[in-house]
Amino acid sequence: MLVQQLVNGLTLGAIYSLIALGYTLVYGILTMINFAHSEVLMLGAFMALGLAALLPAIFGEGLVGLAGMFVLSMAGAGLINVLIERFAYRPLRHVSRLAPLISAIGVSIILQNGVFIWISTQSLTFPEPVAIGQVEVFGATISSLQVIILAAALLLMAILHFFVEHTKLGKAMRACSDDIQTAGLMGINPNYIIALTFFVGGALGGAAGVLYGMNYGSIKYNLGFLPGAKAFTAAVLGGIGNIRGAVLGGFILGFLEVLASGYIPNGAQWRDVIAFTVLIIVLLVRPSGLLGEKLAEKV
Amino acid sequence: MTFRKALVVAAVALSAACGPKDTSIKIAVAVPLTGDMGTEGQGLRRAVELAVEEANASGRFPYKLVAAPYDDRADPKEAVNVANLIASDPRVVAVVGHYNSGCAISAAKVYARAPVAMVSPAATNPEVTAQQNSADWAGPRMVFRVVPTDDVQGSYAATFASKKLGKKRMALLHDKTAYGQGLAEQFKKTFLEQGGKIVSEDGISVGDKDFKALLTKIKNDPSKAEGIYFGGLYTEAGLLLKQMRELALKHPFAFISGDGSMTFGLFDVAGDAADGAYLSIVGVPADELASAKKFVEDYKARFPNDERKPFDHFGYEAANIIMAAMERAGGPDRVKVIEELRKTKHQGVLGTTVFDDKGDTTSKIVTMTRAVAKKRAFDSVR
Repeated sequence: MLVQQLVNGLTLGAIYSLIALGYTLVYGILTMINFAHSEVLMLGAFMALGLAALLPAIFGEGLVGLAGMFVLSMAGAGLINVLIERFAYRPLRHVSRLAPLISAIGVSIILQNGVFIWISTQSLTFPEPVAIGQVEVFGATISSLQVIILAAALLLMAILHFFVEHTKLGKAMRACSDDIQTAGLMGINPNYIIALTFFVGGALGGAAGVLYGMNYGSIKYNLGFLPGAKAFTAAVLGGIGNIRGAVLGGFILGFLEVLASGYIPNGAQWRDVIAFTVLIIVLLVRPSGLLGEKLAEKV
Repeated sequence: MTFRKALVVAAVALSAACGPKDTSIKIAVAVPLTGDMGTEGQGLRRAVELAVEEANASGRFPYKLVAAPYDDRADPKEAVNVANLIASDPRVVAVVGHYNSGCAISAAKVYARAPVAMVSPAATNPEVTAQQNSADWAGPRMVFRVVPTDDVQGSYAATFASKKLGKKRMALLHDKTAYGQGLAEQFKKTFLEQGGKIVSEDGISVGDKDFKALLTKIKNDPSKAEGIYFGGLYTEAGLLLKQMRELALKHPFAFISGDGSMTFGLFDVAGDAADGAYLSIVGVPADELASAKKFVEDYKARFPNDERKPFDHFGYEAANIIMAAMERAGGPDRVKVIEELRKTKHQGVLGTTVFDDKGDTTSKIVTMTRAVAKKRAFDSVR
């Protein structure tokens, strides 16, 4: 049973981690919490649903179509995040720290209600990407869906790691996160790097939205809220602004939830209480999160 | 322009904006029109509209009747707001609603103060009508319902599980709402009486998505549950079924739930995984009722593009019972309509409806159905 619960926790944690990365990347550069991120995630899922109907005609069924749906939804979600930054955050960047935050909440409400009014007030069925089969490993039943989710999440995390650590643009991002003004003096265009960061964060959020839709089979205008709040928690738990912290926090939160509902009598009711109690305790002991201080480097 | 002149202009503009006075009489339909339960509410709205249109066409009333829809969003707080709106509109004679038990329980308190009659076509928690007998009830007894309650439904499902399916050990789940928890408790009571055992009890939240940890616990528990009874709505029921399949919890492991899960939305959420789920429904499905044959045909003719929902014939009947009471009362008088509703003996699509002194229908029929995903249908199990 433990193996099964760990697999359940791993899938849940992978989705939380991907979303948490979006929060942490933006915070790393602008020290701002992008509260509209949960809506970017929701829009990613809705774009994938639209594409799922169109794409098989272009790419064919199976994994190629799936990859196409993924990449296009990610690009779309990234672009939306860039637009949000350009029109709702950039004009307010130097006004005060509170103004962009309120603007973010406003964007979140507008996007959510836009989908509610113009697209659907109800849950829409999200197609199953592949036929669901199961394999037995160490007494645990692992579905093909869980394998896809985990593989996609880990692949994206690896690509992000490579991008941030080993490319020139990644280096520029790290420089901006260290000190945006000095980076500007060194010839880096901060606006460009900020837009790029929003694109990457949004794309990861979009991917998480697609995985979320696949995992639960239906999507709705307010689907972003709960995982968004949980992933934000995960980012803070791991140390907001820190990439490895976001991943760690996401997985820890996933495991906590699963273990609480799996091992504590009537734990399903208490799952969120337990997860957030742990968060408070961690923050009391380490106010900057688990990995918040160890690495001075943010991003 | 002087102040007085401005005032006159404003007054003229205001009276012009009001236009000719609308004198039609309203029957309110207070149900969820948006959100996940919106499809059910839209079905009820159509059913009431059909009843009202037929009444207008028949010339039974010297005034024009309209069905006035109000959206309670399946949220008890919103239901109270809507109820206040309805109670303060003197042209509303009575209310068909609400769909969810939680909404019906809180809105009824507002209607009692008006007072305006409420006839629920779907809320099945016993408390919806039982609360009228409490000492602090603010008005006359004016809550009625045309569906049997959860004590009948829950105990029917428990008998079905132990006698028909031969289950000895069941796991209990509910969504902590007035409806879901009430239904699960009634199931438990009867199942224990029948000598069965409830091996675990868990509450989930409406809107939860991930039940894999919980289902894994049920699957691997040494007490070996033979099935799940779930008190709740189709959104969570669908996800439970879907995740049960992913964890290979399959036949003969049974999934049994109530009327809140028995709707076509279940197939949208669960897909093929809905296959084989047992779902009870209060009353008899309209397709199997000889007395509802005309209603089924008229509904199809009036709304050719819409799927008829499982509660629509109850909504249609609730509206017709209200209109019959209005006719006997001799006019759209709220208090007289309440009095006449108590004397109801209505011959309609549900057969004969008579209300007992609590306001509940004396008909206690429950039907068990089995989901067939391929047909997108619920077949009755005898």
